[in-house]
Amino acid sequence: MAAVVGRRRASGGGRRFALLTVAPATLLLVGISIFPLLWALRLSFMQDSLLSVATPHFIGVDNYAHLFHDPLFWSSLGVTSVFAVSVITIQLVAGLAIALALDRLPRYQQVIATILLIPSILSPSVVSFQWRQLFDYYSGPLNYFLGLLHLPLQGWTASARGALPALVLVDFWEWTPFMVLLMFAGIKSLPRSVFEAARIDGSSGWQVTIFQTIPLLRRVIAIAVILRLIGAFKIFDIIYSLTAGGPGTSTESLAFYTYVQGFRYFDLGYSTAMAFVTLILITVLARLILGFMERPIGRSVG
Amino acid sequence: MATAAPTLSRGRSAATPVLRVGAGRWLAYAGIVIGVIFFLFPVYWMLATAVKPPNEWLTNPPVFIPSRLYFTNFTDALFFYNGVKGLVDSAIVAFSSSAIGMVIGTLAAYSIARFRTGGTNLSFFILSILFMPPVAVAIPMFLFWSNLGLVDTYIALIVQYLIFTVPFVTWLMKGFFQDVPVELEESALVNGASRLRAFWEVVLPTVRPALVATALFALIFTWNEFTFAVLLSRGRVTTLPFILPTLMESHNILWGDIAAIATIGALPVVIIAFALQRYLVRGLSFGAIKST
Repeated sequence: MAAVVGRRRASGGGRRFALLTVAPATLLLVGISIFPLLWALRLSFMQDSLLSVATPHFIGVDNYAHLFHDPLFWSSLGVTSVFAVSVITIQLVAGLAIALALDRLPRYQQVIATILLIPSILSPSVVSFQWRQLFDYYSGPLNYFLGLLHLPLQGWTASARGALPALVLVDFWEWTPFMVLLMFAGIKSLPRSVFEAARIDGSSGWQVTIFQTIPLLRRVIAIAVILRLIGAFKIFDIIYSLTAGGPGTSTESLAFYTYVQGFRYFDLGYSTAMAFVTLILITVLARLILGFMERPIGRSVG
Repeated sequence: MATAAPTLSRGRSAATPVLRVGAGRWLAYAGIVIGVIFFLFPVYWMLATAVKPPNEWLTNPPVFIPSRLYFTNFTDALFFYNGVKGLVDSAIVAFSSSAIGMVIGTLAAYSIARFRTGGTNLSFFILSILFMPPVAVAIPMFLFWSNLGLVDTYIALIVQYLIFTVPFVTWLMKGFFQDVPVELEESALVNGASRLRAFWEVVLPTVRPALVATALFALIFTWNEFTFAVLLSRGRVTTLPFILPTLMESHNILWGDIAAIATIGALPVVIIAFALQRYLVRGLSFGAIKST
């Protein structure tokens, strides 16, 4: 509302002020994001490898064509997809469940929400260190617990089959709290009247949850899924610190393979082409989710 | 009402939850207890390791409660394993980038909130930068910095971090400015104040708590930042998130010392988070719930 009034005022004389104040941010962001992106786009159509003696030259869409024949690209896309689907699913379910439980506490909701949030606000390198310790084959508490339960000990991040699930576990630990925060805020913003009406109708608590609460949270759920999708597609930090893409290439995600091509093999053209494909994938998927979740079934929450 | 979104427990009375069936309540309690244990155990393990004497770092079965408090880990971490340098570098980069980001972002936020400068396109552009994978711009930015001979310098990291401090500050402060009644500036303008003075002396003081909260969030992000730190550093500028993986590679067995550094890195962030409780939702969800 204030903004509408402000707009009418703006014609009154603040035009110059408005442009001057917005200029530094705009110029800076164009300089460190749009300009590099355009530069990267140009680079992605070039043969430019720091390890090659040939001078950089345009090769059209060869880098993109090469991607289609690169088994490591496809396997990294597979790793990223498995990772994204797993973490989004379990984080959404657990996040929603914990948020609903939190909403039922008679007191201390805010303090407990803050305590639960700790994993999401730690630096990824602190998170990686903590899990490096927990995963340790010999002295780690995880294998100790497995031993107590007479279950086979795991190699965790060191085993070819277990490494990706181990990373999913770390991401689950790190980002479920953030999901809880979003869902909890979403629940708190719902109108009371809906639930009171439902209760008068004689609906049980579970019915209210499934048929009233969750549909009303569609928009928050869509945003949470998109945020986590983006997070999963740019996942780099815990892979870098915990598995370095291995064993073999079993945990080499899109972002990590892009890093390997660019910063280890110095194939700049190829690496930037991959970065662009990732960017396009994220944008398309985010649009699809928004479109799917915001179809006008039921009421919107905002 | 400026703080409608961030106050978690005020909007609706905490005593009237969405669900109110007796049997389910115990399930909820159990879920919360399990959740708290699961999400805090790794943090506890780090804290415990940080005060364990060396002979308890790598035992089987693991030591769950340190036999004594061994603070030598902290002095070793700080003075033998570059902890002090890491702290100083992290602080320089985080404070500089947050401060610059605050100035630039707050100005832009005010302009967008009051004058709708650039319409929805500009504010969407600014928000969308937050969602760009760092790897997408890493190579051109790396080439840029190396052409200037600035790879592995404070300047490179400070400017690079503006790529998320500026959009974040702009987005968050925009929401706060929109809640300030426009009549405040109007009366100042009528009394002959310039736009700048009205902004500086009338508007800014009313959003002071929001400024503090936003700055603290910016500090958390820059203090924690990992990807650019790894890609743009070669060992001269070593922030804490850069040091930790290096130590894990080269001194794999020194759990206690590394845990001490990790604890030092985590502590400020956790303290800030508890101070920011009221702002957590709005700050961390980029206004996803309310202000979009």
